[in-house]
Parts: sequence; C-alpha cells; structure tokens
Amino acid sequence: MTHDAKPPAQPEAPLEPGQYGQFLKEHGIATTRLADSCGIETIAIQAEHLPSALKLLRNSQEVKLDLLITVSGVDNNETFDSVYHLWSYSHNNELVLKVMIKKTDVPEGKLPMVPSISNFWSAANWHERETYDLVGIRYSGHPYLRRILNPWDWEGHPLRRDYKQPVDGLNDKNPHSFR
Amino acid sequence: MATELQNVDLKTDEMIINMGPQHPATHGVLRLILTLDGEMVRHVEPILGHLHRAQEWQGQNRTWFQYQALIDRVDYLSGMFTSWAMARSCEQLDGITVPRRAEYLRVLVSEMNRITSHLLWLGTYLIDLGAMFGFPFYPFREREKLLDLLEEIAGQRMMFNYIRIGGVQRDPKADWFQRVKKFTDEFPQRIDEYEAIVTENPIFLKRTKGVGILKQSVAKDYGVTGPCIRCSGIPLDLRRTKPYSVFPELKFDVITYDKEGDTWDRYMARILEMRQSNEIIKQCLDMMPEGEIMAKKQMAGMRIKAGEGFAAVESPRGILGCYVTSTGGEKPFRFRWRNPSFCNLSVLSELLVDSPIADIMAIFGSIDVILPDVDR
Repeated sequence: MTHDAKPPAQPEAPLEPGQYGQFLKEHGIATTRLADSCGIETIAIQAEHLPSALKLLRNSQEVKLDLLITVSGVDNNETFDSVYHLWSYSHNNELVLKVMIKKTDVPEGKLPMVPSISNFWSAANWHERETYDLVGIRYSGHPYLRRILNPWDWEGHPLRRDYKQPVDGLNDKNPHSFR
Repeated sequence: MATELQNVDLKTDEMIINMGPQHPATHGVLRLILTLDGEMVRHVEPILGHLHRAQEWQGQNRTWFQYQALIDRVDYLSGMFTSWAMARSCEQLDGITVPRRAEYLRVLVSEMNRITSHLLWLGTYLIDLGAMFGFPFYPFREREKLLDLLEEIAGQRMMFNYIRIGGVQRDPKADWFQRVKKFTDEFPQRIDEYEAIVTENPIFLKRTKGVGILKQSVAKDYGVTGPCIRCSGIPLDLRRTKPYSVFPELKFDVITYDKEGDTWDRYMARILEMRQSNEIIKQCLDMMPEGEIMAKKQMAGMRIKAGEGFAAVESPRGILGCYVTSTGGEKPFRFRWRNPSFCNLSVLSELLVDSPIADIMAIFGSIDVILPDVDR
C-alpha cells in the first residue's frame, strides 16, 4: 500500500466563489472553493447543508444540474471525502461538490457520517452503498445501506489507505499456500 | 346430484424466487431476488458483487503503465472505450495533446468496437427471448470480420490495450484501411438481413412492443444514460453534447428513437446506431491525416502530473467516466469509474414492477448491461 502517497495540494489563499458558489451563497449556503479539477468548478460544502444544496442545484431553472454522474468516496490522508459529480441533461453545466470530513472529527471505531441524498435522488442509492462498502462513509437516512460489491459479512473497507488484505497473494512467500 | 360450482376463495401469497447468479440470460453473474404474486413481479432486488475484482483497488496499487492493461477487462465488450476514458482523464491532467492521426484512429477503432458490442447484444438478445434457431450466427459473422481486423491492429480480439495515455499503440498498414473500407461497404446490407428477420417479426413485436416503458422523469432520477435515455426523449449523446476528440469534425446525428420509450425502441436505436457507426467509420477513413500516433513515451515508470479530473466517453451502454486523482507519484492516488451499466441497472427495480416474469428478460436485455462493468 502506498502509505506515503499524499493528495494533491490545495491552494493556500481562499479563492473567489465561482458561478455555482455564488448561486448557493445567494440561497444562504456557504461554500469554500477548491482548486478547479481540470477546469471544472470544485466546491467544498458542509455535510449538513448537502441535501438542501443539491435540491437547489437540481431544481433551479438556470442551474439545472440534474444528472448525478457519480458519488465517490476518497480516503485522503487527513480527510474522508464524499465527492459528487453533477452534470446536466439539458444544459452544458458541470460541477464537483465535495463533503470533506476530517479524520480527527470521527470518533474512534465509528464511521464518518454524511446525510444521504437517495431519498430524493434515486441515482445516488447504489453509489452511496458502494462508497459505504469500499471507503466506509456512512450515509444517514439511506433506506438500505448494505454492502453492494463485497459480500455482506466482509470486514474492512478496501479502498482505505490502511486496509490490510486478508490474503496478500502478491507478497506471499509461503511455498505451501494454495495457488 | 348436480355438481355445484363453489366459489372457492383462494388465498394467494407472494412467492420469493431467486433468479440466481447462474443464468444463461443475465449476461454475467447477476442475482435477482424476485417477489412474485402469481406471474407478476412485485419487487425485485438485484444483488451484485459476484464479479467484483477490485479494479478500483488495483487502480491504487498498480503503476500507471500496468493499470492501462487491466481496465480493458472492466467492460470487455467495449474495451476501447474504457481505455479511452482513462487516457482522456490522464491526458487532461498531464496536459498532453494527442496527435490528430491518433485521434482519428481512436474514433475509428472505437466505432468498430461499438458495432461489435451492438452485434453481440443483438445476437444474445434474440436468444434471451427464446429465438433458438441460431440467429446469432448472422451478427457474429460480421463480428468475426471486425474482430479479425481489430486483432491485426491491436494484437487481441477483445482486451485490446490499444488506446494508451497519449495516443494509440500501433499504426496499421495501408491495406488494413482498404479491408475496413470493404467491410463498411458490405455492412449495410447485412444489417438489412438482420432487420428482415427481426424488426417486423410478429413474435418479436408481441414480446417487445409496449414492454418496459421507461418514463423520462424516472430515467433522469436514476441517472440513466446511453441508448436507454435517448429512447425516452432526451437527446444526451456525449459525442454531440460535450464533444471530445475529433467528433466536431464528423457529420452524424444523435439517434433518438422515442416513439414510446419501450423495448422495441431501444432495439431500433441500437440498429440505427450500428448504421451510424458505419458512416462514421467511412468518414474517418476518408479524413485520416498523416502524422505521429503517440505523444507520451510508454514506459514502465511513467507518471502523470498531480491534480484531479474527470473525463467521460460515450460507450455503447452510456456515459463511461473516470475520476482520477494523481499525486505525481508512480501509482495513481484514486481511480473511480463511473460505469454506465451500474447506473442503468439500478432502474431495473422500477421497470420490472407489475410486469410478468416473461418480460424480465426482454426488459433486462434491452438495457444492455454487462456484469463486469457493474461489479468492476
């Protein structure tokens, strides 16, 4: 496992809010702008504002971000990120929303909590289950949060940085292992 | 004594049946737990993960060069598209401009791959519906010709590993292009042969007309993309909406076939897409420029600059996207795949409700799901 891998650095000074940051600010939701991901506006939002922000972005007429491309989980070394890529079916809009939860804020033995959006956006249902399965972010309010890719009784979250494989086939030097 | 017909009130119960991972028609290992009321499906729960091979974990633990060869297997029928999505996202990060000849070759081989994918879909779909008379031999005859051509250029029939970060791997010889041209000249007649058997066939019409109507609002809610959404009235085709590569220079239309949004429309859309891909291949052959084919040296320790980005391509099943985070190291930091089959499969729980068991295969086949794409 690459324990020394660090996520790309964020800019030091706070950036000016972009188009979607401005839109959310007008509706009373504060966001922080992060470095653009290859030209697409990337904003960080607090976990409790997430459902209302997404409802606004989806339903407003000028910012019709109604195609949820994916909900991903990333284990950066200091934070757990829940990343939402939003596109639009009708307009040419793109946005990346991140909910970043510091690892120090998560109590020992518990999982980071993010409100689930699958109650009003069905596309997120399976994506959130997969993020729970692979990265270990718990989505509160999800109707059926169960492991989707791994078996139901699997232990551990494979895409975390500190995941130990149950059997490491690559580095196994035991000549009597079953192959 | 006259027999009296008694009105017996039969108490019915719902039955839970497992449509297990081993099934000839699920195109892979998909498990469906069906709750049935007689013949009608009341609730369906798909259980995934039988083919989970930890491709995203591999994306964190293999070098950039090694990982390129692994991802063709994510969606084995459209391996070119998965490689292309990875190549696009890494080129975006690294700031590489792909040479024009490489772009045209990419479009050419990926449209050939789209045709092979739709041909296999057509052949297996008819078997799923019960047409056991050997129909697949017709589309597979063309598929074999295309796979032979692709084998000459890429070295493999299916897991091509041809589109790399920075360009394409190999430049074909001049007579390869002539053989592709010969294929494109014959192909429209062949599609006419398939259509003659299938399109107006009364059995096929009874099985697919009015079955599995996908409403626009449901499709948008579930994030459906690809031919399924184009048949529900939303013309979302990434090659025209967010054009990439050399698609702005090619002449083609977005195929929307939204008479009713049912299974038959999805079948017609794919037939029309095959014809359209044929036309795109002809245009690529005419407009192929000379020049280099690779902009980044393919070596075992190659690195991509730090940053994060998302890039997508229009695969035969929908929008196939790749969210990559790089730290500039020799291994990627995070590779997240957005597979169209994963997102399209979630709409199955809405489509199958209140339809008879016999329609399950018709509807499921028309969504065109590949299980390795779902499970990675």
